[in-house]
Amino acid sequence: MRTKFSGLLTLLLAFITQLTFAQQKTVSGTVTDESGLPLPGATVVVQGTSTGASSDFDGNYSIQASAGDNLEFSYVGYQKQTVAVGSSNTINVSLQPDNQLEEVIVTAQGIKREKQALGYAVSEVSEESLEQRSEGDIGRVLTGKASGINITQQSGLSGSGTNIVIRGFSSFSGSNQPLFIVDGVPFASDTNAQQDFVDGNNGSSRFLDLDPNNIESVSVLKGLAASTLYGTQGRNGVILITTKNGSSATGGPSKNEITFTQSVFFNKIASLADYQDQYGNGFDQNFGWFFSNWGPSFDREGAAGWGNQSAIDDAGTLAHPYSTSSFSAAFPEFAGVRYPWRPYNSVERFFRTGTVLSTSVNARGASKDGDVSYNMNYGHLEDEGFTPGNKLIRNTLGLGGRALLSNKFTISGTLNYSRTDFKTPPVAASTGNGAFGGGSSVFGELFFTPRSVDLIGLPFSNPIDGSSVYYRQNNSIQHPLWTVANTQNRQVTNRVFGNASIQYNFTDNLNLLYRFGLDVYSENNINQQNKGGAGQDDARLNSGIYETWNNTNFIWNHDVILSGGFDIADVVGATFNVGATSRREVFDQNGVSSSGQQAFNVFRHFNFQLQDEIQFFQERNIVGVFAQAEFDYERYLYLTLAGRNDWVSNLSKENRSIFYPSASVSFVPTQAFDGLRNNDFLNYLKLRAGYGTSANFPTGFPIAATLDLETQFFQDQGGSDVVINTTGARLGNPNLLPEQISEIEFGIEARLWKNRITLDASYYSRTTTDLIVDRPLDPATGFTVTSTNVGEIKGDGFEIDLGVSPFRSSEEGGFNWNINTNFTANETEVTDLGLDTDIIVYEGFTNLGNAAQVGEPLGVMVGTRIQRTDDGEFLVNAAGSYVEENGLFKIGDPNPDWLLNINNSISFKNFTFNMLWTYRHGGDIYSRTVSTLLGRGLTTDTLDRENTFILPGVQADGSTNTVQLNNSTYWFNNILFGPDELGVFDGSTIRLQEVSLSYALPSKFLEKTPFGSVSFTASGLNLFYKAINIPDGTNFDPNVAGLGVGNGIGFEFLNGPSSKRYGFSVKATF
Amino acid sequence: MRKLFSILLAAFGTGLFISSCETTELDLTQDPNALSPSEAQVEFYVNSIQVRLADFIEDDFGRYGAELTRIENMFGRDYRNAYGPSDVNTEWDNAYQEILTDVREMQALAQEGEQFTHIAIGQVVEAIVITTLVDFFGDIPYSEALQGDANLNPATDPGADVYAAALALLDSAIANFNATSLDEPDIDFYYDGDKSKWIRLCNTLKMEIYLNTRLVDGGAVAAFKAIVDSGNYIQDSADDFQFQYGTNAVQPDTRHPRYGFNYINTGGQDYMSNWLMNLMDTSNDPRIRYYFYRQNATVPGADGTDPDEETLACSLTSAPQHYIDGGFTYCSLPNGYWGRDHGNDEGIPPDGLLRTVPGVYPAGGQFDDNSFDGISLGSGGGGAGITPLVLASWVDFWRAEIALLDNDPDGARDLMASGIMKSIAKVQPFAAVDAGADFSFEPSADDITNYMSSVESDFDDADMDGKWDIVAEQFYITLWGNGCDAYNFYRRTGYPSTLQPNVEPNPGTFVRSFFYPDNFANNNASVDQKADQTTQVFWDNNPASPAFPSAN
Repeated sequence: MRTKFSGLLTLLLAFITQLTFAQQKTVSGTVTDESGLPLPGATVVVQGTSTGASSDFDGNYSIQASAGDNLEFSYVGYQKQTVAVGSSNTINVSLQPDNQLEEVIVTAQGIKREKQALGYAVSEVSEESLEQRSEGDIGRVLTGKASGINITQQSGLSGSGTNIVIRGFSSFSGSNQPLFIVDGVPFASDTNAQQDFVDGNNGSSRFLDLDPNNIESVSVLKGLAASTLYGTQGRNGVILITTKNGSSATGGPSKNEITFTQSVFFNKIASLADYQDQYGNGFDQNFGWFFSNWGPSFDREGAAGWGNQSAIDDAGTLAHPYSTSSFSAAFPEFAGVRYPWRPYNSVERFFRTGTVLSTSVNARGASKDGDVSYNMNYGHLEDEGFTPGNKLIRNTLGLGGRALLSNKFTISGTLNYSRTDFKTPPVAASTGNGAFGGGSSVFGELFFTPRSVDLIGLPFSNPIDGSSVYYRQNNSIQHPLWTVANTQNRQVTNRVFGNASIQYNFTDNLNLLYRFGLDVYSENNINQQNKGGAGQDDARLNSGIYETWNNTNFIWNHDVILSGGFDIADVVGATFNVGATSRREVFDQNGVSSSGQQAFNVFRHFNFQLQDEIQFFQERNIVGVFAQAEFDYERYLYLTLAGRNDWVSNLSKENRSIFYPSASVSFVPTQAFDGLRNNDFLNYLKLRAGYGTSANFPTGFPIAATLDLETQFFQDQGGSDVVINTTGARLGNPNLLPEQISEIEFGIEARLWKNRITLDASYYSRTTTDLIVDRPLDPATGFTVTSTNVGEIKGDGFEIDLGVSPFRSSEEGGFNWNINTNFTANETEVTDLGLDTDIIVYEGFTNLGNAAQVGEPLGVMVGTRIQRTDDGEFLVNAAGSYVEENGLFKIGDPNPDWLLNINNSISFKNFTFNMLWTYRHGGDIYSRTVSTLLGRGLTTDTLDRENTFILPGVQADGSTNTVQLNNSTYWFNNILFGPDELGVFDGSTIRLQEVSLSYALPSKFLEKTPFGSVSFTASGLNLFYKAINIPDGTNFDPNVAGLGVGNGIGFEFLNGPSSKRYGFSVKATF
Repeated sequence: MRKLFSILLAAFGTGLFISSCETTELDLTQDPNALSPSEAQVEFYVNSIQVRLADFIEDDFGRYGAELTRIENMFGRDYRNAYGPSDVNTEWDNAYQEILTDVREMQALAQEGEQFTHIAIGQVVEAIVITTLVDFFGDIPYSEALQGDANLNPATDPGADVYAAALALLDSAIANFNATSLDEPDIDFYYDGDKSKWIRLCNTLKMEIYLNTRLVDGGAVAAFKAIVDSGNYIQDSADDFQFQYGTNAVQPDTRHPRYGFNYINTGGQDYMSNWLMNLMDTSNDPRIRYYFYRQNATVPGADGTDPDEETLACSLTSAPQHYIDGGFTYCSLPNGYWGRDHGNDEGIPPDGLLRTVPGVYPAGGQFDDNSFDGISLGSGGGGAGITPLVLASWVDFWRAEIALLDNDPDGARDLMASGIMKSIAKVQPFAAVDAGADFSFEPSADDITNYMSSVESDFDDADMDGKWDIVAEQFYITLWGNGCDAYNFYRRTGYPSTLQPNVEPNPGTFVRSFFYPDNFANNNASVDQKADQTTQVFWDNNPASPAFPSAN
């Protein structure tokens, strides 16, 4: 109706124009989008004439027209608008987006392009999907929201690291983590774990310093054709983040607005096992203060009843563990005390419900003419973990602004400060006997607490010297509560990041941009433990340790980009970008490691006997030049050519330069052939193809030959330290080359059935050659490892984004239902490892870890297996247990087969309901948590324990095995401490990742208040999950990265419970 | 406006220029986190080599050899899995990447400085390392080894060739010790600069090589005897080749590794061998209180005490038939000697403060003075023990073996007795390391005399097999602390036949040589892992297992 009316009006005006004597004059103004952002390249035409103009990079236009003429403004992705020229010489127009048309999105190096011109896939995630979340980690908030991305948390600890991998692994030596670009400049996203995964690898991923509430939008560049302009840094995909501060830098709305968000969530352990309460501590149905729970029943009667136990008296009590153990002298009050034989629900009581408080304030505004705009925000997050001692506090403060100094100049910048304080008890690896490395673990001794042990009720501290005490008679388990009270890992990070840019417009279609990016963080780490720990035989740890060190990381980044656009012919348009960039990255670690604590519980270096240095330094410079040209033909066929050359500082001169070309094509048949477009069926169709290349340069100093010096290697007879030097174990390789990656991708984008169905599908195939391999060497060569280039990895995958709107009301407040589904499948195969070797284990332990093996997916898990006979039958020994075969056998594939995420969004009146389900199919996990819970007889899966087991297989003589095993021999000797392959489980998981219900106050309620809008949201995270092929009672959550953030996947060493969160938030604008 | 632009451009340009020196520097290839090889010092290499030699034997070849010969306890019911390929990675790494590489680097520098003693020490260390590797693995890379990227897959050399190279190294070392050096090592951990002792060591190591190769080299025994005749070998315990540890627990940890592992607040980590403890206890061996420290006066199931499921599971079970048939002790020993039978792989109960632990010799722990207190971090001698590498007492046993071969039982008996006496004399002063002990429990001179006469009369009364058994048993007792020689002796002679067998009736064949380490077999294309552990080293031409040796 409206269109008809305006058409009629136009006709009428045109008629009037004919009658009017035209006086030509210059009309100028600005074309902006609905939020006030300038639209460069918008077309302005005097209707009925051939006079036309287009807006420049700031949306400004000028055109010759006469009063009474009609100016038609158009821009791809926006509705056309017609305005009559009146007496004023200025006409500013704000175009409304046309959802049926194309949008403009931010691509590499901040270049805005029409989406339909792109020959590669870009996923976008909007503000609504990011804000008011119970997780403060932007990485985790992105989970399930875009195809092609696989996000795994290190654990459910608040502030723990997050692993992000886009389009699968393409390297096993280099990082596979994507590049973060925040407001156009690089942003360090490293995870600096405090130690290795064995000794404890707590550490946040540095994108935790971003407040998701402060993010305007996220674009994900998945393929190499998309990320070419970032060179080597963009090889793993790029996460382009526009913050609210940064978005003001491209021009804000003139409306001044303050937004306030306050949230409260509760944080609980999600992966608590379903413990059985039938049997208690012991072995073979006999009582004992063991690690295991294979003891007698809590019933008095029966073969396994406690009535048969000499240690348990008629009243069902036994001698208190502190009355009989090695430290009974410290606890005279327990002498003669009896201890009831019953379940104590210890693990359940150990955890707490944490509170997550999040506050965010954002203010934005602009001068009346829109030439000067600003945005400011402050965020505060207090995230209390479900584990005692775990807490994350984050404060962020940011400011951004932009000024149009004249028609030719634009200056903009952002400056952000964040302080992130992460603390937790240490989490080291445990295989089910407590932590085994050089650090304690709050979980390593917890999950297998026998049911009859009263963890909460047993004092954890020796009253004489504060040392750990626990139930085991030789005190060889560290009490988990002692760990909580006496140990800490802490990372306090102060960070400043931001950018400054100046743009000069030579002409409307030619400009020069200089952009400076700065990102400096200073991570202050603490690792401390009081003296008196138990459980590990590490004299240093037991003497009390205090380690403090600072990691200062900085990135300086300079970009200069010249951009322009022109028409080659009437039907062929072109734009180009030429640029140069230099990046310097420095990581500087300095600190002190002390041991030998004197006064208990005093953590200052002076209170320790010995000090040792912590120092590490790494630097690398990357210089790149790049160019991109885009050609379009009649706005339905687009060709983009791009290339970049990088020079990187840590390789030999002849190997340090590499060129990455890329090309992509987009074709829009629905634009090309008018007849194809059909409102009832096909509304839009685009086909695209792209080819891109990149390279992975090593970090560190891989070509250097080194000599290790140790000043405190040993002591001579007089007690003086002896200095040694020894040849470095790494063989420097001056011939090392960068890894080369190339990728080809094809895609289809379509909208169907009155745009109710949207489809965006991609297929890609990627090849990495000249793999940089940390090749382990036979020490007989004189070295144990060298970096070298060998072989090839191939990977390919599908990404499908499908949106369906089954209900779409035309009225405001009507019933709307949108289903957005994304699907990701990725497969890799190691096709070649060179001539010298057919397997390289690159993560985990040398005999149990992730490997590159020819013919197998990258990352295949290898370890020991059950020995097979020549006929492939399992071999069982005379005692009836499996025979373990040492070697590097494939025991699982940790890569998920595919990921499916389904988001339902239903709105009605002022209510909006969202529900995000995620499903991971496949992806094996070697879980010590599961093995331990089963092998130590704790969960409901092990209730059936008075029967015998016969393992399927054959005896050495070939006869079918008939030897009967009892429960503990089956679970303990075979499942827990048997061949590694029995500890591998399928990680397929269905999960209710997010659910939320929002209510927005109707605007009429707000009319007489200062509020512009007020909404309330109740939401939950990870409220339900089920790992469908993992024993039910263990309730294990495979969303865990036991090896930490990096290339190791599929392993877990009692270090990864997961969290669930639920709560409430309010958002108000004024 | 133009002016403003120029100013801004100039400002940015200057900034870019200033920072570009730093940000566009493209040659940052040197690693600031380590020295470069050109900064190496000869002394620092020699220090490293000497300390690492002790490590090499102590962790864990000396232990593996002892475990296989029941001097120490073996955990694992079958031989195949008791010593997997990953269990010997550290040893291989230590041998080649740490010791031998540094020996070569050091020698190149020392040659320039005419530091011949430095070179000689490197040669002795190299000879010990390569012969030990051959003894445990058979053929090993040698002539193609240590060439860096010139050969990333060094092929193995026959063990006999490596042995020959070791002899040549020792001869060359003697020449270098005799040469005039411009400079002597700052620290000599073994002989404190006494080169005549080093030369005696070289000759003794040659004797050991000849002894090991006597089955395959007709001239070996004569060569052995020639050195004996020369008299220039280790005869006096003052010349013992041993490494002395200290008591510093951290930064650096200079304690005896066995002490550091066992003397912790939660108690012992290793189990002592029931076979050895029983042998010494029942024969009143005067060294038993130095070798073992009992934390408890009784063992469940022995001396009339009740079996205990919690602390000693096997005390509730009956002995396997082959133990009963062979008359071996099972599980519980009398008098508080709380250890484990060969191969027992039961779970670890909370017995760390109950079981018997290593004593004051050689680990520097506690002297057993019947106090039966639990051990703790730092208790006893604090780890000031030794790793014995070649002792004068052992050399007497080598000569006793030759005497038995020569059918000279009297000579053998006297040499054995001399070896035992040297061993007792060596062990006894260690009591002083544990200053807090009650020394009244030290054996008296009579105790020692009685013991000697009892062993000697047993020897005299025994038939030839029995004599071999007694010599072997006594040799093994003196080898407490380093079982490399015992493992060689057992494969060479098959004695003693009295060893406690594995609790598993079918433990698989005895380890005639170890699997190659993972880091060798997996990373070196010129070698394949062995199919099993039956491969015999070049000097072992005895019958294949299981026929030989008898007790497994």
